[in-house]
Amino acid sequence: MKTISDYVLRFRKVIIISTIFITFVLGYFIKDLHINPDVFDSLPRDDKVAILFNKVGEEFGGNYYCIIGIQSEDIFTKEVFEQIRQITDSLRFMNGVGSIMSLIDVIDIKGSDWGIEIGKLVDEYDLPDTEKEWNDLRSYVLSKEMYKGTLVSADATMTIIMVRLQGEVEKIEVARNLRRKTMELGLPEKLYFGGQPFFIEAIGNVISKDLTLIGPFSFLLILFVLYFSFRSIRGVILPVLTILISIIWTYGVMGLAGVEISIITSIIPILLIAIGSAYTIHVYNRIEETVVKNMDSGLKVALAYIMIPVFFASLTTIFGFLSFIFGSYIKIISTFGVFTSLGIFFAMLLSLFFTPALIATFPSRKSKLNRRSSGSFLILLLDKLYLYINKYPKTIVIVWAFIIIPFLIGIFRIERRVDFLDYLKKDNPNRITEKVLTEKMGGTSPVYVSVKGNVLDPEVLKQIKATSDFMLKDKNLVNARSVADLFEQMNDVMGEGKKIPDDPEKVANLWFLLEGQEVLEQLVSPELDEALINATFGSTDILDIKIFIDGLNQYILKKGDIKIEVTGIPSLVLKLDRRIITSQMRSLGIAIILVFIAVSFLMRSFLKGTIAIIPIIVTLVILYGLMGLSGIPLDIATVLVGSISIGIGIDYSIHMITNLNHEMKFSGKLVEAIKNSIKISGKSIIINVMAVSLGFLILLWSNLIPLQRFGLLVSITMITSGLGSLTLLPAILILIEKSKLMLFIKPIKK
Amino acid sequence: MKMNKKKIQSLLILTAFMFSLFSSAQSASEILEKMDEVMYASKDQKSVTTIVLTDRNGKTRERKAITMQKGRHMRLTRFTAPASQAGIGFLSLPGEVMYVYLPAFKKERRIATHVKNQNFAGTDFTYEDMEAKPYSEKYIPELKETLSDQYVLVLKPKPGIRSDYAWLVLYVDRNNFYMKRVEYFNRAGIKAKELVSTFEQKQGYWTPVVMEMTDLRKQHKTRMIMTEISFDNNFSDEEFTVRKLKQ
Repeated sequence: MKTISDYVLRFRKVIIISTIFITFVLGYFIKDLHINPDVFDSLPRDDKVAILFNKVGEEFGGNYYCIIGIQSEDIFTKEVFEQIRQITDSLRFMNGVGSIMSLIDVIDIKGSDWGIEIGKLVDEYDLPDTEKEWNDLRSYVLSKEMYKGTLVSADATMTIIMVRLQGEVEKIEVARNLRRKTMELGLPEKLYFGGQPFFIEAIGNVISKDLTLIGPFSFLLILFVLYFSFRSIRGVILPVLTILISIIWTYGVMGLAGVEISIITSIIPILLIAIGSAYTIHVYNRIEETVVKNMDSGLKVALAYIMIPVFFASLTTIFGFLSFIFGSYIKIISTFGVFTSLGIFFAMLLSLFFTPALIATFPSRKSKLNRRSSGSFLILLLDKLYLYINKYPKTIVIVWAFIIIPFLIGIFRIERRVDFLDYLKKDNPNRITEKVLTEKMGGTSPVYVSVKGNVLDPEVLKQIKATSDFMLKDKNLVNARSVADLFEQMNDVMGEGKKIPDDPEKVANLWFLLEGQEVLEQLVSPELDEALINATFGSTDILDIKIFIDGLNQYILKKGDIKIEVTGIPSLVLKLDRRIITSQMRSLGIAIILVFIAVSFLMRSFLKGTIAIIPIIVTLVILYGLMGLSGIPLDIATVLVGSISIGIGIDYSIHMITNLNHEMKFSGKLVEAIKNSIKISGKSIIINVMAVSLGFLILLWSNLIPLQRFGLLVSITMITSGLGSLTLLPAILILIEKSKLMLFIKPIKK
Repeated sequence: MKMNKKKIQSLLILTAFMFSLFSSAQSASEILEKMDEVMYASKDQKSVTTIVLTDRNGKTRERKAITMQKGRHMRLTRFTAPASQAGIGFLSLPGEVMYVYLPAFKKERRIATHVKNQNFAGTDFTYEDMEAKPYSEKYIPELKETLSDQYVLVLKPKPGIRSDYAWLVLYVDRNNFYMKRVEYFNRAGIKAKELVSTFEQKQGYWTPVVMEMTDLRKQHKTRMIMTEISFDNNFSDEEFTVRKLKQ
């Protein structure tokens, strides 16, 4: 290590200039970054739900809906229908629009005394005139389940225009254009813009807002805490510089690699603030504590010491994040794992090379001794803490044991209740829109069920109808439309009842009339060997989704003779949820094992490794227990906290134990070594905990609820793992020493 | 004097311009009417139509029908293949009256007029495209260009005519006044469909032998091939009744 620290000092200028150069080069590529908040943008290619979802997008005229709601006292007026026509007409041929369904152009199959109408619900060139005609239309529309509660609310105060987007289009861009074009019409009625693309856009806006407002504020707060702790400008500048540069490098590489900022990768800067700052704080603190007379020799000693713990601390943290790569359902999670690891690696490099190079090039003019003897509040506090731990180690262990008991119980109450609507605050306009559209129209999430077989075979049609009927039994599912419905209605107007005809020839005859209808593009494949049931799901609650999808899958299993598959937003959400939880639980396990091995290797002892991970285990118990007790669910954001707590928690333990080993070299007495370790590492730990927890608590002001929860949980995790390393870890070490079970810490022979 | 000369010049230019406009409007109408005359020249006609549908992947399906037409407003189409659709009949009568007959149900049903913008039996022709109604009755023509071999007309629906198209661009053969090509523009001003026809002179009448309609958005094509064409068969009006349709 001394050789490396020699190199750092010898090439200090080269290091500084190279860092600046790389920062400028990578910083340039940040301009290529753009935010893509769509969680489902890159679905796995080997998952059948994802494959079918993409196929619906490509072959059935699109898979995402933009829903425009028009609210009025009474929908059934000429004025409102004119507005529906204007919107429908102006959006129909827009780029990215696959198809549109509104009251103006919805297919209607009507039987009358004189014949049959397979056409549109209303004649857009000849809208009803008299009040009676409007009343008749209202009664007709509200009497048909095809329209009531799906295109028109039951109270006739709202209607929707369902715009189906083509597959492989920039959904958010198309959604924005749809809104702009609709708003340009300057219509008097109240309009709502709902559906996934608008919702994703809203989340994107919130991310941008948070990044630009909360990010800098969080940074300022950390600056304040650092200044308050170190009482020196360089104590502030160095960690901040490391963080800033590592963020620039990470986002620069992302820009260079063409990787987009997702809802998850948007928190990388915040993570780097938390984790990256710790490395510099430890390096800086160690140098501050070591360098007394000669800058270069002191720096060499300090660096030779701190390199190992910082390297291992970053290595274990990287392990924690790399575990995200394995088994994640959506690409953004593995991307998050890769780039957070890269960011941590950069932060580690910068802390170990750039920070000391800067300190060596611009040495402090103040006398180190003066400040050390000044006896700050922090040192006094740590002194007291040590005295207490030394005196009552058993009490400390017992107190911790008592603390974790309720949390242990809480773990079993942890919920997986993920609701995407919960992502936005209650007063967010998009959340309100989704709520209104769900209440009035039954929801906005598309569900697609594919039924394989000859679409003109009466038996297949009956299976389609039976599946659709089964789906409609779920209270949250509405608007199930299939080709079978059209055949039933046609058969009805031919005077043979609302059912699928048994005679294939009759089906073929009816098909003659139906073929070529625009809506069929969404309902049957061109080869007529596959039908698609389109429906809307009205809940974003994972429990509701689980009940529906699991129930439907069981139904499908029973229908062994016919191939039925389900996809859509609820299915994807469920997949995502299940895969996140299982893969993250697994990666949490992998992370703990890897960290344990790394720490044991560092300490050259499995026992020490075990003791080092105790604060993490306790932190995890408290974290998940707290989530169970407070009702914070395990979701896409909160599930990350576990791995982060391992990454950060182990850092504190590593610093404490490495320091302990180091002190033992000189004093040979464990008690003395613990005292010094608490003072030196303790200071860094407390500063780090304070800075970062406050930085993360700023996230409570985020407009994205998962980020709020994330901020709160990371803060609690930091405090818990910090306190664990400062109290529980030394208390256990003292107890082991006192019980003389073994001579735990031996002076290392030089 | 100078002023007067200028005024006279301007007046002359204006008159010439107005005259040219007027004459072009006149000739556009004449061209369209002539085209209608050519298309509906025979008293009646009968043909076997093979309909080939080609989807965007190049996959084709084939149908066959016998079409009978009398005058400008009566047309009966009876499908003969595929077997599942054999016997299905389609009758178009004056006054935008349309009937369909479904043999499996042994029932006929009248089809509402405002379904005209719907595609006809899976083809790329809408009921509007298929209706037996002369162009000059539906559209106001404007001569856009006169090329060496064809006239290019822009047709806009007459007031009160329901059409899904904002305008059509029609290419008419200059010598024989048959329709060579039609481009259909939707209300957004986008070219939505294109019809290319091949006309041949049979028994003295210029008649389409191949008509190919392409839906540019769907990339779907319908090719109608007319064979066994006969003219002036002396069909009686009786042949174009619901009773006949049901037979």
